[in-house]
Amino acid sequence: MDEPEDDKERAPLFGKWSYWYALVIGFLAFCIAVFDYLTKHFS
Amino acid sequence: MSAIDWIVLALTLTLIIAYGLYKGRASKDLDGYFLSNRSVPWYMVLLGIMGTQASAVTFLSAPGQAYTDGMRFVQYYFGLPLVMVVVCISFVPVFHRLKVYTAYEYLEQRFDLKTRTLTSFLFLLQRGLSTGISISAPSIILSSLLGWDLFWTTVVMGGLLIIYTVTGGAKAVAYTQQLQMIIIFGGLTIAGYIVIHRLPKGIGWSEILHIGGKAGKMNIITTGFSEKNGHPHFDWNDRYNLLSGIIGGFFLQLSYFGADQSQVGRYLTARSMTESRLGLLMNGLVKIPMQFMILLLGVMVFAFYGFNKEPLFFNQSQIKLLEHSKYKDSLAVLSGRYDALESQRVVAIRSPDSAGWPYAMVDPTLIDSRVQAITQEKAQYKATVKRWLDDKAVGGDSNDTNYIFLRFVTDYLPKGLVGLLIAVIFLAAWGSISATLNSLASCTICDFHRRFSRKTLTSRQEYRLSQLYTLLWGVFCIAVAQLVYGLGNSLIEAVNVLGSMFYGVILGVFLVAFYRRRVPGTPVFVSALITETAVIVLNVLGKKGIISLSFLWFNLIGAAGVVVLSELLRPLMRSQKR
Repeated sequence: MDEPEDDKERAPLFGKWSYWYALVIGFLAFCIAVFDYLTKHFS
Repeated sequence: MSAIDWIVLALTLTLIIAYGLYKGRASKDLDGYFLSNRSVPWYMVLLGIMGTQASAVTFLSAPGQAYTDGMRFVQYYFGLPLVMVVVCISFVPVFHRLKVYTAYEYLEQRFDLKTRTLTSFLFLLQRGLSTGISISAPSIILSSLLGWDLFWTTVVMGGLLIIYTVTGGAKAVAYTQQLQMIIIFGGLTIAGYIVIHRLPKGIGWSEILHIGGKAGKMNIITTGFSEKNGHPHFDWNDRYNLLSGIIGGFFLQLSYFGADQSQVGRYLTARSMTESRLGLLMNGLVKIPMQFMILLLGVMVFAFYGFNKEPLFFNQSQIKLLEHSKYKDSLAVLSGRYDALESQRVVAIRSPDSAGWPYAMVDPTLIDSRVQAITQEKAQYKATVKRWLDDKAVGGDSNDTNYIFLRFVTDYLPKGLVGLLIAVIFLAAWGSISATLNSLASCTICDFHRRFSRKTLTSRQEYRLSQLYTLLWGVFCIAVAQLVYGLGNSLIEAVNVLGSMFYGVILGVFLVAFYRRRVPGTPVFVSALITETAVIVLNVLGKKGIISLSFLWFNLIGAAGVVVLSELLRPLMRSQKR
């Protein structure tokens, strides 16, 4: 796939977009963990 | 509805139309009309994406879903954050770099004209029909519960938004979606507060969650595995579990955010690629908690009805239908007994003398045997009503899920707030439909009219024509809505089936475009035609009961079919760009 020239733009806050991606995926994992706890605690 | 409710409803809807007309002033060309001159900040992209995805049915159906089936529906969205990342990496840079108006425009640059035309046509067909159904479904629910005229409810649901969508295009859509989402969240927060406020003293968040948990409503995470003959067994028919949410949800959401112009059109309005990405990634962060809160509202309403009289059937119009059927005498007897039972149950559960009150609701073992017997008898009465409605001679609708939340709103919310919550339903519909009309018009003019017309149009003429197409699509969707009334509650499933029949193939074409660089246009075009035909045949076979296959698999079959078939056909065909 062609790499767009502007794909290396500076991401807000973290500088790199890969940190943003890690944050989103990490937050999904966090949500699943919290939901799992709630499911077990309130069953 | 009281006069105050009518005033609140009318004022809220008028406010949105006026705001759309006021804010929708953009340059009178295609860039202004479809892309808002690429001037939208990330938070408006976020609200636009959320407003487009969340339709009226989302807010009507989700609390009812949690009330009846529990909160496991939230797993349906687990694939979404992953999709946001993939779209940001692969789709957004390409669309921004090429400065396209529609996602399908890119396919002509990557493949050829026929592939662009086919995918855009499939999108128009699917979206045009499903938007009509999306207008019809909430209209039926509102008219059934409030006794409104179905024709006029549909016209308001799908028609008034046309005023600002035609006039202001994407800019009006973006600004109204911003205000709509604020009103929607405000309305739902107030509704949640009132549920808690109306619960007996001593019942708070912890008790609500325990009540929901004991009744199986806190089943947020389910694996889909169960024990069968001593071995773990995965249920492939189970729609909402961790695996189907992450894997199945991923393909479904990728089709929607990567290849559906109604969403692509939202993030193309951003003032830069950074703003597009931020809006999408923020959606990946907030969508699951938002859906969790909407479902939690359903659990709160469930706890509320634990301490208050629960209706025999939430959809009052179906009770009226039975009153005019052969079951009318039996219904009168059953209703009387049910009413008496519910009164006894509520008194017992609220009584300080009842064992363990208020924790009797939390731990069913603390409920005395009398309450247990009442609860069992009550369940039998409800099952009887459903059986009567399923009788072909009655022709009723035994699915009550979509009416639960709205019935609670009309029965228990104070005057004024009922009007606001009804307005929330309309605004949710408007946010979604206006974005869709804008995208349908953009595809019609960019992928068809402008591409195939021999006459060169000025910017002003293109702008006027875009307005005309938006209007025509609005009229078309309302006409479809008027024609599909007979489907009743199965309308919601019809939208999903329709989407799944076309989404997979469209996604497959985009996946080949992005990740299979050596595959040219003709094999993809032929593969898309063959796969689409196969998916339609599978659907027909499923309807006739010849095969057993859930429509959710159509997404995967469509996408995989195009990718695999185009690779197989590649050596046999050479593409000629036309």
